[in-house]
Amino acid sequence: MKPIRNFGQLVTTAQELGPRTAVIAGARDREALLAAAESVQRRIADCILVGDAAAIKEAAAAAGVALGAMIVVDVADPERVALEAMCIAGRGQADMVVKGHVPSDAFLRAALSREANLRRRLLTHVGPYQIPGVDRLIFISDGGVVLYPTAPQKVEIIQNAIRVARLLGIEVPKVALVAASDRVNPAVPSTMEATALVVMARQGQVVGGLVDGPMPLDVAMSAEAAAAMDIDSPVAAHADVLIAHDVEAGNIMGKGITYFAGGRMAGIVVGAKVPLVLGSRADDRATRLACLALGVVLAARGYKEIWG
Amino acid sequence: MEHITNFAELIAAAKRLGPKTIGIAAANEKEILLAAADAQEQGIATFILVGNQPLIREIASAQEINITGMIVVHEPDARKAARRVIELVNLGHVDFAMKGRVETSVFLKAALDREHGLRKGELLTHVGVMEIPGFDRLLLISDAGVVVAPTMEQKIAIVQNAIKVAHVLGVEEPRVAVLAATEMVNTKIPTTMDAANLSKMADRGQIRGGIVDGPLALDNAISEESARVKGIKSPVAGRANILIAPDIEAGNALAKAITYFAKGKMAGIVVGAKAPLVVASRADPHESKLVSIALGVLLSARGAR
Repeated sequence: MKPIRNFGQLVTTAQELGPRTAVIAGARDREALLAAAESVQRRIADCILVGDAAAIKEAAAAAGVALGAMIVVDVADPERVALEAMCIAGRGQADMVVKGHVPSDAFLRAALSREANLRRRLLTHVGPYQIPGVDRLIFISDGGVVLYPTAPQKVEIIQNAIRVARLLGIEVPKVALVAASDRVNPAVPSTMEATALVVMARQGQVVGGLVDGPMPLDVAMSAEAAAAMDIDSPVAAHADVLIAHDVEAGNIMGKGITYFAGGRMAGIVVGAKVPLVLGSRADDRATRLACLALGVVLAARGYKEIWG
Repeated sequence: MEHITNFAELIAAAKRLGPKTIGIAAANEKEILLAAADAQEQGIATFILVGNQPLIREIASAQEINITGMIVVHEPDARKAARRVIELVNLGHVDFAMKGRVETSVFLKAALDREHGLRKGELLTHVGVMEIPGFDRLLLISDAGVVVAPTMEQKIAIVQNAIKVAHVLGVEEPRVAVLAATEMVNTKIPTTMDAANLSKMADRGQIRGGIVDGPLALDNAISEESARVKGIKSPVAGRANILIAPDIEAGNALAKAITYFAKGKMAGIVVGAKAPLVVASRADPHESKLVSIALGVLLSARGAR
C-alpha cells in the first residue's frame, strides 16, 4: 500500500477503490451538490441526497447539477434531515455520511442517537492536512469533537489517528504528543500526560505507531528546532500525526495552518459504524472532494473491521 | 508614535530609542551572542554577559562573533547567572534582562524572587509578536509561553499586558480577539464564558486601551470573509491585532504553527515585572532574538514594563 501524501493521490486512490455509497445530510447546499456530482462523475461515490426534495432540486438546477442517478430522499422537516441520513447508513444502505446543510452539533447528535444505530465507540475527529511546503499529509487530532479528553479518551484519539494514517498507507505513523514544552513538568499537565501516554504506547496499549512526547510543534516538524533543543527522537522532525492537548489547542493549531499557511484539511470523524465526513463551509471544491475521497478510501480498506 | 507594522520598522524604532543596556543570563550560546553582537553593532543595545566566561570567549572566537565592548562576568552556574543578572537590573547597572542558555522557569524564578527579584505585584505574562508573510500587520499572541492554565483573573492581566505592548508598537486602540474553539458562548466550554466576560469588562472600562471581543474562533478573528460568512457582527472580527489564547497549549501551538508552517517570525517578551524580560526560545534563530532584543528596548524606552 503506497503512502498517500496529498489530496491528489487521495482522490486517485478513491477512484481506484470506489465507488462507494455516500449519503449527504442536507443536500440543498450548492457546494455539497457540486462535490457530489464530481464524485459521481469520477466514479468515486454514488450519492444519496437527503433533505427537502424541492429545495434540493432547485439548488441542483441553479448549480447546473444533473441529479441523474442520485437518489433523493425527501425529508421536509429540517430537524429530521440529519437523523434520516444517519438511519440510512445505520441500515447498511450507505458506506459514509456526509454533512451538508445541517449544523455540526445536530449532525453528531444524530450519529449518536439510538434510532440511527450507528453508535459503536468514542467519536474522534481526525484531520489530514495538506500543507504547502510539506511533503506528506499531517494528521491532527482531535481538533473538533472531543473537547477535553480524559486519559482513556486520549488513548483512543491517538489510536484512531494511527489507524486512519495506516489506512492511507503510512505503515508506522510517527506520532508527536504536542505540548508547549519538551520538559516534563508537573506545572504543565500536558507534559505529564504525554509521558504517561508514551509509556502506555510502549507497553502496547496503543499499537501500530511510534509515539513520542511531550514535544513542541516546531520540534515535531523541524530538524533544526529538534537539534537546537537537543532532542533525539525518531518522531522529532518527522511527525505524521500531531496530537493536540485538547480541542482548543487542536482547533487553533489547525486553523493557524489553514489561515496563515494555506493548508487544507479533509476532516473525518471515526468511531461510529461508518465514517462521518465533516467538512467546513469554507472548504473549496478540491477539499470537499478530498473529504469524500477519504471516506471512500477508509470504507474500502476496512473501516468496518476496525470500528464497525 | 507611528504604527509599527513589521520587524524592520521595529528594529528601526529601537535604533532611534536606544541604546539600552541589557544583562544576559548564561550568555554562553552562539545564537545569543550573534544577536547581541548584531544589536550592539546597530546601536540598539550594549551588554553585560553573565555566564561561563571561557566558554563565551571560545564561542565568540570560534564563530567569529565580535563581543568587544561587552562586559563579561564569569558565573558558570546558570541559576546563579540568572540571579546575578536580575541583581544588575535592581542595581540599575542594566536596563533589563535577557535569558540565555538557562531554563525559562529558572530565569523567571529569579525574576520573581521576593527579596531579590523584580516583582511589581503583577502577573508575568508572555507576549509573542509575529511577523507573518502576506499579513499586513504584526500580530500579538498571548500567552504562548509562561502562564499555563490561566484563571479568569490571570486572563485579565494577560489581555491588559498585551494591550500595553501593542501601544508601545504604536497601535493606539488594538483590537483584541479572545480565542476559543467556537464563537458561541457555551456553558460546557468555560473558555467561551471567560472570553465573553473579558469583552464585557473592556466595554465597562475595567480593561483599558483596547477593543476586546470574544469568544471568536481564529478564522473569524483574522478573516473578514469568514466572519461575514458566519454572520458574526464584531468590531474585532477580521481585524484583530491581538490574539488571546485560551491556554498555553493553544497559544504555543498557534505560534509554532505560524513560525513553522507559515514561515512567520516571532519575537518574545515577558512583561509584568519591574523591567521587561527577553525570553527567546533555544530554537529561535539569532535574527528573531535580535527582534526580541529590539522589542525589549522599545518597552524599556517607552516606560511600559
